[in-house]
Amino acid sequence: MFYDLSNFLGSLHPLVVHLPIGFVLLTMIFEFSANSKNTIQNRMISLGWLFTFISSLIASLFGWFLGDNGYYFESQIDIHRWSGILFVVICFLVWVYKSSNLPPNTFLSRFRNVIVITLLTVTGHYGGSMTHGEDYLTENLPEIIKEKLGDDYEEISTISSRSIDSLFVYEDLIHPFLEDKCMVCHNDENTSGGLNMTVFELLVKGGENETGITKRNAYKSSIFNRVVMSQRNEKFMPPTGIPLSFDQTKILEWWIEEGAKLEQPITSFREDAKIQKLLLHLYEVDIREKPFLETLVLEDLSENDLIYLENENFEFRFLSNKNTVLDLKFIGEDITKENLKSLDKIKEHVVWLSIIDSNLSDDEMAYLPNLKNLTRLKIQKNFISNKGVPYLEGLDNLSELNLYGTRITDASFEVFSKMKGLKKVFLWKTQVTKKGVAQFAAQYPNIEVMVGY
Amino acid sequence: MNCNHDHSDKNYSRRDFLTKTSLGLGALSLGSLMSPTDAYGSSNFLNLLDSNKQKLPHFAPKAKRVIYLFQSGAPSQLDLFDYKPKLNEMFGQEVPKSIIGEQRLTGMSAGQNSFPMAGSLFNFKQHGNSGAWMSDLMPHTAKIVDELCFIKSMHTDAINHDPAMTLIQTGSQLPGRPSIGSWLSYGLGSDNKNLPEFVVLITKGETGQPLYSKLWGNGFLPSEHQGVQFRAGKDAVLYLENPPGVSANVREEQLKYLNKLQQIQHADIGDPEILARMSQYEMAFRMQTSVPEVMDLSDEPEYIFDLYGKDSKTPGTFAANCLMARKLAEKDVKFIQLYHQGWDMHSTLPKSIRNKSREVDQATAGLIKDLKQRGLLEDTLVVWGGEFGRTNYSQGLLKPDDYGRDHHPRCFTIFMAGAGIKKGITLGATDEFGYNITERPVHVHDFQATLMHLLGIDHEKLTFKFQGRRYRLTDVSGNVVNEILS
Repeated sequence: MFYDLSNFLGSLHPLVVHLPIGFVLLTMIFEFSANSKNTIQNRMISLGWLFTFISSLIASLFGWFLGDNGYYFESQIDIHRWSGILFVVICFLVWVYKSSNLPPNTFLSRFRNVIVITLLTVTGHYGGSMTHGEDYLTENLPEIIKEKLGDDYEEISTISSRSIDSLFVYEDLIHPFLEDKCMVCHNDENTSGGLNMTVFELLVKGGENETGITKRNAYKSSIFNRVVMSQRNEKFMPPTGIPLSFDQTKILEWWIEEGAKLEQPITSFREDAKIQKLLLHLYEVDIREKPFLETLVLEDLSENDLIYLENENFEFRFLSNKNTVLDLKFIGEDITKENLKSLDKIKEHVVWLSIIDSNLSDDEMAYLPNLKNLTRLKIQKNFISNKGVPYLEGLDNLSELNLYGTRITDASFEVFSKMKGLKKVFLWKTQVTKKGVAQFAAQYPNIEVMVGY
Repeated sequence: MNCNHDHSDKNYSRRDFLTKTSLGLGALSLGSLMSPTDAYGSSNFLNLLDSNKQKLPHFAPKAKRVIYLFQSGAPSQLDLFDYKPKLNEMFGQEVPKSIIGEQRLTGMSAGQNSFPMAGSLFNFKQHGNSGAWMSDLMPHTAKIVDELCFIKSMHTDAINHDPAMTLIQTGSQLPGRPSIGSWLSYGLGSDNKNLPEFVVLITKGETGQPLYSKLWGNGFLPSEHQGVQFRAGKDAVLYLENPPGVSANVREEQLKYLNKLQQIQHADIGDPEILARMSQYEMAFRMQTSVPEVMDLSDEPEYIFDLYGKDSKTPGTFAANCLMARKLAEKDVKFIQLYHQGWDMHSTLPKSIRNKSREVDQATAGLIKDLKQRGLLEDTLVVWGGEFGRTNYSQGLLKPDDYGRDHHPRCFTIFMAGAGIKKGITLGATDEFGYNITERPVHVHDFQATLMHLLGIDHEKLTFKFQGRRYRLTDVSGNVVNEILS
């Protein structure tokens, strides 16, 4: 009975608490403008302090009830509670002083006002933080001011800016929100319900009565079950503040269903389309396998490099929205060693290269092995023979090689077989034989050889 | 723009001064006071506002160029690709009411008393390792189905040719928007100094639904991005040759002075169309040699003509244009648009479609094979298709050996091949009557978004501000069809 009543009165705390605030401010304004010799005014002021005292006493009593119901953490309440009580005491003392006939002291009353206002602010702020969340005051600030203040947005962007290969599901995705929502109460010092979530093993073990994590069974894991049950259920977690988001609960579920491993890399779930979308949505992390081009980290090319290339008769095109990876095409008549030497400056940046029908010779092929990041090489219709092809052997990233209209023979197949990344080779109008092609195709079924129709 | 025509001795008219100072100087000083990048940090908001600041390509492209074999008039998917034995089984019976529902029909057949289902007269077989269905109308293409990706669930908003063609080519049913090729030219620029980025080839002597130049028009984009039509015959590009009596040297000198004059004018009034005109003059001059070179097929060996079919020796045929398309692709022309008219078969479809298929079949297959053996199919996207489909019921009298088919926007089939496209797959499906889509609908805008994606463009980001609004090819919709991307 008393418990129910105190709960009810506790819930009135946020309502009642505004009365003393109003009273004390009004009283101070009166006092400021009052004539100290006017006894009626003095009596009114003393009455104002009495009302403030009474209403603040009731408010703090209700507050005590509210704090006792367990929805708030001691650490959060403390400052609010004791500054509130101090406020009540001061109001009482002021009323006593005012109602006695002691002479007014301007200095003392000013000093007193500062203290009262400070207490009011502190108490109010901590109270507000508990009900509305800690960033309540700043969260709706205009973006510009927020960025100036250096708001802690960082959390999301640090994940998305890191290489996805280095991200772990628990450490980087789950731990941050558990820390935010749960570990205030479930930590080394404060193990509510016997649960300490800061140590992974203890998190798995769970609290007094429930298992923290049952591998591959999210609904039998209290850390999941408790955050997705009906919010009216008193076991729902977290008891106050904003619950976990849908996406967060999904990640938790998915991770538990996959075995709840501490060192589960994010990339191990590339194939799961739903999780892909979810991570992209929530963290701006794209776990899909990146094409080779996007994995290259290169310096931007300068305007001088590009002018230089153009002077050497290369036409260029960027293959991404950064000034890094290049598609190069030789547009002169005959290519020279000087032209080819110019590639050395940008050797890592060239990923597609066309030198078509430009009298590229076997010897000139010697400039190509430096272009380690080549994925597509079109050197068809040149005077290339078996002598030139071995230069390409070390181009591990080369997946497409066009040699049609050259003079190579079956002997070059040996080189192709050693090229790690090769997927397609175009040999129409060369001197390779049908037999040679068939043999190669049988031995290396992953490399497509195109010899025409 | 310029309001200065009557004040040729002054740099600025009063109106010019007011416009330029209020917008120009005002904006300039504001800009220096409050640089947007300073004020908003790395906020994406401003980037989205100003698409020109977005560097292209947005991501690594799969395709460098597109050859779009447009079949104008709408080929019958039910006689070529979309096999529906149910229609043969129920030949002559009424289309079930539940299938048509409340959908609109064209005025041409809406008044019919009867909508008898017309099963195709042509034999369907599965081909290749992929087992794609095709009728025997296109035997050559049937042999290369393992290179192709069929989308059987295309649908469009328009029910008549002109709006439907305008939609699939420009993204809007209403004329005035830039065509796909113009967007690409605007967004990606040129890979080729001597030829336009966007070339149009039309089969000569065909009749049928008219082709207006708006289909390859630049709309509101600067005019150097419009498609340039190469014609079969004496002058491939009209008015490109020097007039009689004007030598190349004289012409060059003329252009040099003209260029100077234009530069002065541009410095004066700043109209971007002057730059467009200048670049067009320069391009035209270079094209005087490059176009005859590329149009000349005399270097092509006999076996190449055999590959495309014997029509390919006759300039202006679809086959010759396909061969030309390959040559243009070799020269890195970015968007090569072919048009083949005459697929609009409201009556005597079986007879007409035989001829029409013959005209395109070998050349289409030949083009894809030729691109493939040269390695060009690795970075060239080939698209084959019309503007909508045709009905499963006969327009006019259904005879055992004759029928017509009306327009059908609810489903049609296109196929693609080449760069970045999965080989030997079929996406989407229609119901057993071939009337409605049952699986994975692909709207025209989805197709366009996918095409842009293959070229490294995010279709939502390539925009152009015109008359107070930012426009894009896919208007306000379109999703990339990821299932067909390799």
